[in-house]
Amino acid sequence: MAESCYITFPTTYYAIRAESVLKTQPYSFKMIPVPRSISSSCGTAMRCHCEDLAAIREILLQNSLELEGFYRLEEIGLRVPEVEEIHFDQ
Amino acid sequence: MINDFEQAGNCNSNLYFDNAATSWPKPEAVYKAPEIQMRQGCGNPGRSGHTRTLEADRLVYRAREAVAGLFRVADPSRIIFALNATDALNIALKGCLGKGDHVLYTSMEHNSVLRPLGTLRRDGVITTTLIPCSETGFPDLDFLEEAYRADTRLLVINHASNVTGTIAPLQKMIQSAHRRGVMVLLDAAQTAGTIEIDTGALELDLLAFTGHKGLLGPTGTGGLYVKKGLNLKPLREGGTGSQSEIDLHPESMPERLEAGTLNNAGLAGLIEGLAFIEQTGIAAIREHEVEIRAYLYQQLQAISGIRLYGPADPGSASCIVSFTLDNTDCGEIGYILENNYGILCRTGLHCAPLAHKAIHTFPTGTVRLSPGYFTTRADIDYLTGALRDIAKLAAG
Ligand SMILES: Cc1ncc(COP(=O)(O)O)c(C=O)c1O
Repeated sequence: MAESCYITFPTTYYAIRAESVLKTQPYSFKMIPVPRSISSSCGTAMRCHCEDLAAIREILLQNSLELEGFYRLEEIGLRVPEVEEIHFDQ
Repeated sequence: MINDFEQAGNCNSNLYFDNAATSWPKPEAVYKAPEIQMRQGCGNPGRSGHTRTLEADRLVYRAREAVAGLFRVADPSRIIFALNATDALNIALKGCLGKGDHVLYTSMEHNSVLRPLGTLRRDGVITTTLIPCSETGFPDLDFLEEAYRADTRLLVINHASNVTGTIAPLQKMIQSAHRRGVMVLLDAAQTAGTIEIDTGALELDLLAFTGHKGLLGPTGTGGLYVKKGLNLKPLREGGTGSQSEIDLHPESMPERLEAGTLNNAGLAGLIEGLAFIEQTGIAAIREHEVEIRAYLYQQLQAISGIRLYGPADPGSASCIVSFTLDNTDCGEIGYILENNYGILCRTGLHCAPLAHKAIHTFPTGTVRLSPGYFTTRADIDYLTGALRDIAKLAAG
């Protein structure tokens, strides 16, 4: 089953800054409205391939970004998907 | 005498000497960008999820990055947008001062500093000490050294006087304050975009700027730089598009100090003003303004009856020359300049009463001429020609 990973941010400022930082990096991603099944402070999230999540997180942290949460979601259209929150050590 | 009534008060006139009030003309792109933004970028930043919103978010981010770039701020989240310098100064003063704080400020401060301080003082929140300035507008540094107290929290400095152009000795004043652990708030309303300000090198704590003067942007834009680690109490709380479920305003910068929908159309114009400054180079802008100010000063010096205020050295002043003409009313000179010559300038006290006391022109004020980057020597020649006529008339 197809799935995507999501990164959420404390504020819009960090969401847009993340987009600007990642633009020059070789990962595909998209800024999207936060899916309703995820709770987030800011309305915009970053969707990426789950295999890229750790690397993207690393780059964003190196650029002093404040990140809120990381999630894995099944892509099942309009139905509410299962959400798995991903925790990184440190 | 040229009696060109057609030109009077006409914004097509090139004879605009009121850039210290608001700059004109603006680069062409500054006029166009707000319209494009309103027609094509209708989203409310941070509020919805659709692509227009995202575009609006990107625009605000670009504006923040551009301002951060100009002031050499590494982290754009430390730049917040406000209505203008007045708004930013209010956010800074009311956000950082608390009960029992002592504040130092200079005679050259604008009412946008004097009045918030006046209210806080009247309400018994703060005490203040005024740092007097010389006849040419320079703060008395010896007085400053003696003025610190154990409860002194903030020193407010007007980077360049909007009356005389006098540039404050920033580095010395900041070092003096920091030696005592006192924070510094810089009012850069008159210098942002025309004089280099490196917040990092200066170790500034707070810097207020306005978008519609030297930054060549639209009115209704401006903001504040807040040094990392300095957490101001927000003056306003409300919608930010983030953390909507919580009934307290977010603490994270920049949202912490921004509530409500931002002036996107204005910021689109401001981005273009900043782009123009970057392309032209702030050094080139300053060089032109120093040359124009020197020329204006020298031409006015030769007119008998005219008294000049502020430093003679153009390197010590922004692009402003203030003068009075013996036995004449300043307002009358302004009126004749506009009606008989199509020349626009500002007369009176310029919202800075203490500055006029320092230079001994209170309460009648001065005629203030503030050319800008787009002013030519030919414009100055026309202006000084008009003033020669007026001086002759006044001498009878
Ligand atoms: C020194 C100084 N501070 C503050 C301001 C206020 O700027 P604004 O009217 O854009 O808020 C001005 C200009 O009016 C000024 O000259």
